[in-house]
Amino acid sequence: MKLPLSWLREFVQIDAPAREIADRLSAAGLVVENIEQVEPAFQGVVVAHVIEAGRHPNADRLSLCQVDAGSKGHFSVVCGAPNVHSGMKAALALVGARLAGADKGQHGDGVPRLENVPPLEAAVIRGVRSEGMLCSERELMLSTEHAGILELPADAPVGTDLADFLMLPDTVLDVEITPNRGDCLSIIGLAREVAAIFGLELNIPRPRRVRGKAASEALPRFSVEIAAPDLCPRYAALAMTRVKIGPSPILIRRRLELCGMRALNNVVDATNYVMIEMGQPLHAFDLEKISGGAIIVRRADGDREFTTLDNVRRELQSNDLLITDQQKPLAIAGVMGGLNSEVSDSTTTILLESAYFEPDTIARTSRRLQLHSEASYRFARGIDRAGQATALARVAELIASSAKARTAGELVDIEARPAPAREITFDLSVVETLTGASLAPAETRRRLNAIGARTRPAGRGMLTVVPPPWRGDLNEPADLAEEVVRLGGLDDIPSGLPPRTSTRAVANPARVFFKNTREIMLGAGLDEVRTLAFTAPADNQRFSGIAQGVEPVKVENPLSMELSELRLSLLPGLTAALRFNLNRQAAAFHAFEIGKVFMTRDGGAAESLVLSAISYGPYLIAEIGHKGIDGGFFSLKGILQSWADAMNIGSRLAFRTASPSEVPFLHPARAAEVVLDDERVGYIGELHPGEAMRLELNAPCAVTELDLAKFISYGFAPRETIELPPRFPAIRRDAALVLERDLPADSVIKAVREVAPPVLESVEVFDVYEGQGIAPGRKSVALACRYRAKDRTLTDEEVNRLHSAVVEHTLKRLGAELRQ
Amino acid sequence: MKDQLEEIRRRALAELGDDAEAEVVENVRVRVLGRSGELTEIMRGMRDVAPAERPIIGKLVNDIKREVEARIEALQEHLRARQLERSLASARLDVTLPGVRIPRGHVHPVTRIMEEMLDILCGMGFEVEYTQDVEDDFHNFAALNFPPNHPARDMQDTFFLPGGMLLRTHTSNGQIRVLERRRPPLAVVCPGGCYRRDDLSVRAAPAFNQIEGFMIDRRGRITMSHLKGVLTEFAKEFFGETRVRFRGSFFPFTEPSAELDIYCLLCSGAGCAVCKYSGWTEVLGCGMIHPNVLRAVKLDPNEYQGFAFGMGVERTALMKLGIDDLRLFYENDVRFLGQFPSVAGGSR
Repeated sequence: MKLPLSWLREFVQIDAPAREIADRLSAAGLVVENIEQVEPAFQGVVVAHVIEAGRHPNADRLSLCQVDAGSKGHFSVVCGAPNVHSGMKAALALVGARLAGADKGQHGDGVPRLENVPPLEAAVIRGVRSEGMLCSERELMLSTEHAGILELPADAPVGTDLADFLMLPDTVLDVEITPNRGDCLSIIGLAREVAAIFGLELNIPRPRRVRGKAASEALPRFSVEIAAPDLCPRYAALAMTRVKIGPSPILIRRRLELCGMRALNNVVDATNYVMIEMGQPLHAFDLEKISGGAIIVRRADGDREFTTLDNVRRELQSNDLLITDQQKPLAIAGVMGGLNSEVSDSTTTILLESAYFEPDTIARTSRRLQLHSEASYRFARGIDRAGQATALARVAELIASSAKARTAGELVDIEARPAPAREITFDLSVVETLTGASLAPAETRRRLNAIGARTRPAGRGMLTVVPPPWRGDLNEPADLAEEVVRLGGLDDIPSGLPPRTSTRAVANPARVFFKNTREIMLGAGLDEVRTLAFTAPADNQRFSGIAQGVEPVKVENPLSMELSELRLSLLPGLTAALRFNLNRQAAAFHAFEIGKVFMTRDGGAAESLVLSAISYGPYLIAEIGHKGIDGGFFSLKGILQSWADAMNIGSRLAFRTASPSEVPFLHPARAAEVVLDDERVGYIGELHPGEAMRLELNAPCAVTELDLAKFISYGFAPRETIELPPRFPAIRRDAALVLERDLPADSVIKAVREVAPPVLESVEVFDVYEGQGIAPGRKSVALACRYRAKDRTLTDEEVNRLHSAVVEHTLKRLGAELRQ
Repeated sequence: MKDQLEEIRRRALAELGDDAEAEVVENVRVRVLGRSGELTEIMRGMRDVAPAERPIIGKLVNDIKREVEARIEALQEHLRARQLERSLASARLDVTLPGVRIPRGHVHPVTRIMEEMLDILCGMGFEVEYTQDVEDDFHNFAALNFPPNHPARDMQDTFFLPGGMLLRTHTSNGQIRVLERRRPPLAVVCPGGCYRRDDLSVRAAPAFNQIEGFMIDRRGRITMSHLKGVLTEFAKEFFGETRVRFRGSFFPFTEPSAELDIYCLLCSGAGCAVCKYSGWTEVLGCGMIHPNVLRAVKLDPNEYQGFAFGMGVERTALMKLGIDDLRLFYENDVRFLGQFPSVAGGSR
């Protein structure tokens, strides 16, 4: 909402500097986003009276005018404008004046600085001396109008500096109005705030009462019927005749422009002017186009479409509120008028509407139609519930003066549903109980009165408060407490610390889990990344995540096709981040993300937390001259294992060959499902060569993704019992087994474990070999078995006996033989 | 014989000069002290010596033997030292070559800032609770006193999902979710992702993080004064010593509502483009929980009251880090990430 201070000062006498007004409005909840200084683009221009506009002796198209500029003198001026006429008030640029607009174009596109513009000189035009210049709006840079000179109102005081007359320079505050403060979408509303904050008086002139003319002429007839009182409790209307459509007076146009509205004609401008001034949206119909003169406020019901005055066909729904006549819709109530009843240049009789429409219905219709007008914006936020007749009288006053029109008949004001009485019983101590501010009861009451509430004592420490009809947002004591502290910029509230609560704050186990997991991932060389939850359908098809056969969640109103679904997996984001970095000359990318993925489950959207990681390129850089390690399946698997070890669940985490259909985006021969306690919780593998090619990778890229739910429930639990270090030595025995190439090494360990004696402390694979000396299709797996007893030193013979039994069993179990 | 011995001694010692090589030393040892060396030969010829001279000769042989042995010992010691010196020199490392670095990742700045905020708040007695991103209208709007069609909903352009669900537009749903399963007194913070229909740009993003905090107790125990105190302490701890101010504002779910500003970190209050020349920047929104919110979770506003606040993590992170482009948080450029610490925790 733009607030020109010149306009504000019509209602409240305030001398404080703009900055202070802005700061205190901001502190009270009306944030001033910008302070704009508006300077005149001219200097040395005065209001003048054209006494006589006669013919120029030497030129048919020029006039020679005798002009009175009051104390500035009497001048003879040559003028080429077609609209110059005797008796008019015009803007006279005196000799020595500077006009930025007249000089425009000579300094490129920009507006020249006034001091750089050459002063106006007296000139001899076609043999006649001209002592000044009558100016067009363009020359004064008031608008682009240049067809004629600016005509000033008849009551403009002759000799006055035009800048003063136009109230320039001016300051315009740009105030951000929160959705609860529809009342502040008007100059008077903001003036009331300023008055309340600064403790000043608010002066709102009452418009002249509308008086119906005697029946000396045939009055246009009209009627109003409210058929939907639930949506429109009040509707006021007034007819005006003998309207002469034309431009509005310059002051009105200037102010509309300062407030960001375009001037159209004297009728429409007047409705807009009053809307900005008082906050009541108004509409003017061409009365002759209203069939039978009957205004009916009703739901659209069977009406299916309507063309608004911006010439767009709008689809209607049965609940939309319309203004109609007996035959057709005339307007979408509170949103926009219709092309069929618009005021045009030939209009002579108008019907003015000033109504209260329920915020909810206007908000719903305008949002659905994506049609947001100044009117709908105000109705949706709630306007003055009782201001309709006053606004109508005010606009009639303006139109009478600017369009030489007369009111015809009485003002019709129908209240189909009276506003419910609102009375709040306000315990003054609530201010302190709620906010901690201790204010004198008299000051609390003063503040409530300043915002327009009526208050009366209701017993000790109690007030009965009737909120003003323009404050639909004040409904209970907390609302009133807010008003009281807000007007003081919240400075009445002391700063203090709360008493200790009796409950003990408990560390959140999930947060501890995330912290520890991050610590381990960072320690393993993975950067933490964060990517968007939105992704493209193609990415969801490509990277289908951990869960099998689930449908992605589609966003109903996406920003773009590329972001139209919620991710099933973090991989689209991680691979995109990989590509982003490779494009910027990164040689390696090792990263993880903890984030949410989304899927359709039981017909609804569901979310789950996953950990995902990606590893590509050099990982462990060795010393110079030695070979390092590249990121790959085993380094990534090792990270997961270390992480699981840290959680003390390392032995419960297993890796099984994944079937390609489960993880089609992974290399079919290099993919595993990750299993925790026999439940599949994720996958790990190299990206499928096809994916790698699509991403233009030239080395293997390992990825993993794990559902975190189960891991979080386990947390980083420490071991329950701590064992003493062994006191007796261990004896190691190796064995190299030749077995089928496709048997996983893991199966050898499993076979050993089947018959492991209690003294077999550990068994692990320490080498795998294929090639010379081993039959094709077979491989050699070397095992290291460690034997140790808790209570004594084992003898060689004993270990040898146990070991051969273990090996014997394993060979038989796997169809293997000992390597020779 | 005596002369012969003196000659052996003289020759040996002459050969065992200070710079004698290992080979020479060994040769002398073998020639003089060896099993068939010169001194052994002399001892073997003792029977030809007059018995009276035998002890004298014997002593002389021993003296020479000891003397040569000592000399050889000394030389060998010296030679070993020289040898070690030579081998050490040849094993010299270029200590300026790079070490083998243990790979370390870097925490994402948004995580770091969020954790720092949570650490401060937990230190002030708040507990962390996580709540869901996929929400229904009730928990995201209706229970938070946003009536249907109310323009306040337009403040937060919402992403809608099938089945009447939506992506939460703020973490304020945490108030409702937590209060549905826990009763006051409590002090809780809910961090998490939020979503609004904004294109990714320098200043906005369709997904971002917030921290919602709220403290509720019996009526009169927790007031707006405590809200001021808690948030002022937080701001000082998080931003360092800075001036703060509270302004009136509007949120449907708080009454009274306020916003907290701090002295602009970029210009220190002098006025710059970021703070729109006001010297202040907005940090968070807050207020006393609206009675209708309490009613929505079946708490009687005549018995309970409390405050709530919510702040954007990314926006605050920009301020704190002194950078001006939100997109940096979403690009995951390792040259950006690499500047953040290799530990997950906050700085305290």
